[in-house]
Amino acid sequence: MDRLQTAIAALHEVDRESGAYGAESSVHPLARLIVCMGFSVTTVSFAPYDLSGLFSMSLYLLITGIWEGIPIGKSLSGLRYLFFPVCFLGLANLFYDKDVIYYLGSVPITGGMLSAVTLFGKGVFSIMAAFFLLRLIGMQGLCRALERLGVPRGAVTVLLLTWRYLIVLLKEIRRMWQAYGLRAPGHRGIHIRAWGSFAGLLLLRSMDRAGDVYHSMLLRGYDGTWVREGTKGRERAGISILYTVCWLGTFLLLRSIPLFHLAGSLLGSII
Amino acid sequence: MHMADALMAPAVAGTMYVCSGAAMYQSVRAVRKLEQPEQIPVMGVMGAFVFAAQMVNFTIPGTGSSGHICGGMLLSAVLGPEAGFLTMIGVLLIQCLLFADGGLLALGANIWNMAFYGCFIGGMLIWKQMMKPGMNRRRIAAASVLGCMVSLQLGAFSVVLETLASGITELPFSIFLAAMQPIHLAIGLAEGLITAAVLIFLYEARPSLLWGYQKAQSQTAYGRLSLKQTLGVLAAAFLVTGGLFSLAASASPDGLEWSVERTAGAAELAASGDVYEAASEIQERTALMPDYAFRESETASGTPVSGIAGGCAVLILCVGICKGLRFFSRKAG
Amino acid sequence: METKEESNRKADRAEIRTEHLTFSYDGGKAVLSDLSFSVFRGESVGLIGENGAGKSTLLKILVGLLPGYRGKAEVGGLQVEKKYLRQIRTKAGYVFQDSESQLFLSTVYEDVAFGPRNYGLDEAEVDRRVMEALEQVHMEALKDRQIYRMSGGQKKLAAIATVLSMRPETILLDEPSGALDPRNRRNLIRVIRTLQGTKIVASHDLDLILDTCERTLLLGEGRLIKDGPTEAILTDESLLAAHGLELPLSLMRRSR
Repeated sequence: MDRLQTAIAALHEVDRESGAYGAESSVHPLARLIVCMGFSVTTVSFAPYDLSGLFSMSLYLLITGIWEGIPIGKSLSGLRYLFFPVCFLGLANLFYDKDVIYYLGSVPITGGMLSAVTLFGKGVFSIMAAFFLLRLIGMQGLCRALERLGVPRGAVTVLLLTWRYLIVLLKEIRRMWQAYGLRAPGHRGIHIRAWGSFAGLLLLRSMDRAGDVYHSMLLRGYDGTWVREGTKGRERAGISILYTVCWLGTFLLLRSIPLFHLAGSLLGSII
Repeated sequence: MHMADALMAPAVAGTMYVCSGAAMYQSVRAVRKLEQPEQIPVMGVMGAFVFAAQMVNFTIPGTGSSGHICGGMLLSAVLGPEAGFLTMIGVLLIQCLLFADGGLLALGANIWNMAFYGCFIGGMLIWKQMMKPGMNRRRIAAASVLGCMVSLQLGAFSVVLETLASGITELPFSIFLAAMQPIHLAIGLAEGLITAAVLIFLYEARPSLLWGYQKAQSQTAYGRLSLKQTLGVLAAAFLVTGGLFSLAASASPDGLEWSVERTAGAAELAASGDVYEAASEIQERTALMPDYAFRESETASGTPVSGIAGGCAVLILCVGICKGLRFFSRKAG
Repeated sequence: METKEESNRKADRAEIRTEHLTFSYDGGKAVLSDLSFSVFRGESVGLIGENGAGKSTLLKILVGLLPGYRGKAEVGGLQVEKKYLRQIRTKAGYVFQDSESQLFLSTVYEDVAFGPRNYGLDEAEVDRRVMEALEQVHMEALKDRQIYRMSGGQKKLAAIATVLSMRPETILLDEPSGALDPRNRRNLIRVIRTLQGTKIVASHDLDLILDTCERTLLLGEGRLIKDGPTEAILTDESLLAAHGLELPLSLMRRSR
């Protein structure tokens, strides 16, 4: 149930912080979404041995983190879930690719090592980008970006409602789990005899709540079409476009120029 | 199981986005056709429910491990496949951003691997077909277990194909497949049983909540999946799997060929160590989708030390400038 | 004894009127049977009765959430039926027992603005209404607060504001003091007392009724048992006891 606690903490944090970082921003959430996607695409497109190229992408994370004041260290706490497939495949590369590419001092570096580290790096970077995105624009911002992209209003509404009731239901589950745990000490999960009723009862209550929510919407004039939310941010189109173009250009540049190597040779020639 | 950004090539990620987007478009149209405004809050609350309920560990007797409910199957058994699919997209999106399960790029693939198979194969084909003669406990249990196992197998198979098509791993296809499928057979069985328990509880407590219950009771032309629909779903699943399979086959040469190609390339370039030459290769490198013949930049510019030193210098400079600018801009503002 | 003319004139001013109202869920046992009463403009009326007496059902019928009743139910002179629902819902606002279900958007402002926006008002007017509604419940300072971060008392006030922003003539409150601590409850009572217009408060918190309503309807098993001044009904210990209720605490102390 560790994940339950993590989920509640993360939700609280996102809702508390969302807007705190990007609220005063004049960049539209859609621009941030596009840049985040651009970052992910560029990041994963680096070849398996191109470690220094990949790490030059950290410039985006560093600049965004520092500029918006997002705690970068905290974002790394989410990496606990750098899941099974990445680890599994990364480690597999160690065994299947043992050719030495070069020596770092006297330590041989194999292709498997390089590609494993690159794989982890890609995983870490894309996770951090997603972490930053949600904290920069929040759920409201994300929904506005999606609407702007032409995702139907109904689907966006479902997303908003899911987000709204997530915290309510997570806390309800936590209460149920605590009540269960008090009467079943030492259990790490729900016993088979309570499988159906534990989740089923909550599902029934959730459905009742959905009915009430629907009624509450009806009473306030809802007729199946969601009226546009008037939350207009402070963003300005020019700055948003500039932001997008600059970052995408930077990614392209980093992808094509071995920046770290160039800087290294420059440093070498100076010394 | 979530597919991760790091395991995907942009082309594969894009393909999966297109596939999932098409399924989403169809679902939005189908849900809109039903014209049930009360579905919207039910979908939202059910999405939150599935997300929350997936956090609960259900002890699997005799194993010491635990399982979770299968979201796609549960949602389509309550909301119907299309509405279930749309709801599941929301759940996966939030999981992706909140927990970084997968990542934004892999979202398209994750929607396909988990939501599409769960809702359209598990829900539309299996659940709907099996409930046709009327509902009872045994049929619900069977449909749920079968649906979960089949959709998880397909999902795991897709993960393998997507990874190989992305050319990310050196693991041979057969070993990867042998590692993935049996595990997911067991997971599918456990998830199926847990989901079955919840659905049977619902069936006994308030059967009208289950999708298609009323129609099944009245026995009147209960949503017979037309031949066209069945073929459509099967064809979509088949096309995507087949496409991925051929991509995987072409992108992942066997281990030997790979290492030969790479060592040869490395040897060729190891001698020429010049920054200017590296810079002149810009043209080649602008391609966003490399064919994964490796860029030998590490060896190309001589020692890896220059890369490390240069990297440190750039990062320190960047952090310094950023902090400075931020300091002054806050001061000015 | 009022003359016929007088009673007619009064009926004209009836904000809410039911005649022989009968209702049952899915054809089961009648939850309300043969209920006739009127509530006049500006009155505040308490609706009391034990659990299952039909208080919530009655309120939900009045705002058109439970179709398929028999008899007559009118709000603001309009029969509660499908074609008038949109108008009726601007005339009468219903505050749910569970504020969590009533507030489904993420911030207070968004939620309070939901109703006015659905009625096609422009943003300036929406903003005016939202701020006015929040002022009435003293919540202006919390307008950008995330809903899940608010206390039960704040949520209740926000839920009332979502209804006030529609500027209803009548406000129906379903068990408003449930799960509130004494301080939040006192605050809620203050707010209810200052609300303009017609009010119906359904509750088994009789102290709350005593503090906010001048007239009370006692329901028992779906029937109207007694209709009269609050003070008179709430001091009738045997009548209350017969319907599963107890004297309000404040009166108990007084009688001892």
